[in-house]
Amino acid sequence: MPRVTVQVRDVAGHTATATADYELRQSVLGGYYLSGGADPSADMAGGNFRSLTQYRSFADGYIFPGYNRPWLINLGKAGVQMNMVLELKHYGAPSGPQTFTVDGTSYTVPAPSMTIQQRPGTTWPKAYGYNQVVDGQCDGLFARALSQYRTLGFGVNIQIASELDTDHEFGTTEAGKAYTWEGSDWRAVQAINYILTWFKARTLPAGTTFSVGVGGFDRACFQRTHPESLMSRLDFLQWNVYATDASHTALGRFRRTKDWAVADLGPVALSRRVIIAEWGVRSAEIPNQSGWIATVPAAIAQLNAERGPRITQTNYFNSGWGTLSPKEAGLAALHSAYGTRPFI
Amino acid sequence: MASPIATAALNAPAYEPGEQMLLTITYSDADTKPLTITLVVADAQGNSSAPVKVTAIIDPLTVTVSDDSGRTWNRVSDNGAVAVYRAVA
Repeated sequence: MPRVTVQVRDVAGHTATATADYELRQSVLGGYYLSGGADPSADMAGGNFRSLTQYRSFADGYIFPGYNRPWLINLGKAGVQMNMVLELKHYGAPSGPQTFTVDGTSYTVPAPSMTIQQRPGTTWPKAYGYNQVVDGQCDGLFARALSQYRTLGFGVNIQIASELDTDHEFGTTEAGKAYTWEGSDWRAVQAINYILTWFKARTLPAGTTFSVGVGGFDRACFQRTHPESLMSRLDFLQWNVYATDASHTALGRFRRTKDWAVADLGPVALSRRVIIAEWGVRSAEIPNQSGWIATVPAAIAQLNAERGPRITQTNYFNSGWGTLSPKEAGLAALHSAYGTRPFI
Repeated sequence: MASPIATAALNAPAYEPGEQMLLTITYSDADTKPLTITLVVADAQGNSSAPVKVTAIIDPLTVTVSDDSGRTWNRVSDNGAVAVYRAVA
């Protein structure tokens, strides 16, 4: 613990000494996501919420701040760190070609040619294909997003893709050609490199950072999607954390992907900090959701005291698996957890 | 001669890297007194100059700040009784 020493001396050489000790620490941003990308301001009010995850499709004409989302600007200007997940995935909008004008330049972007999340028995979502990206056919989407981003007034982390492992788990198909999980991962890395090159070649708002999105549930996929050549261009590692079984502990769940990273990734990747874009507790298996949430601060503190990349931001996903139920109790637990070290 | 007394207080127990740290030092010495001398020069004809005031401090105190982590503390203010220093965590 560093110590500052003050000495007061008079002319005759008499002295008085006083000391003060201080501590250096790096607090973790406690963050949030509210279902549907809805305004989280009310839920965050009065709590130590310092970050927020948001999802936008590149297909959408309103990415920054988003359609009818003036609150995002208010939160960002108030210092809430935004983790903006930008996806090639279509959210169900009309999936034909788009023609639009950005800053006086007209772009035409073709219809998305890829399907992802090909879980049997489900409707496979469409996405802009990795070949379409690498071939430059999606440049207009990036130009549109950047033009809007420049008007926001603050820098954000741009997380490219939400969960590549979820997207690729059952393979992908682009322009009629099927790709395996592994092949999809490699193609995604090429496309993400293209997107990074596109953005980094242009003037970005101060404070802009980049990461790539994964659920983090598959070790081999995590390694494939984090080559050193890509990590050298990214600022953060990222994974999501869910408790979905009564046996799951906070320490065990938050550490799973970190342990894989430490074992499998190179020194550049391990020099990066970590964003947990989503974490959640599924109340069906863990009825004492609040009790589990209360164990998270100590788990994060312990992980950050160990070697390996440091977790700097954890955003609770109040939706889907993480839905707070009952909401009031869950929110109270979250407020309490984020009022505890290492979040303060 | 009396010995000085001093207290030191930081504005927080812990800091994030890059954060501003403020140190407030309160100090005094019973001997330390401001003194004002008023001087008038007169000649043999009885002409006097306008009075001139000179102030001096008896037994002035010097304050030094050191940090075992090597941080540099810079003085922000010092009125002779309270000094504020600043450093970056």
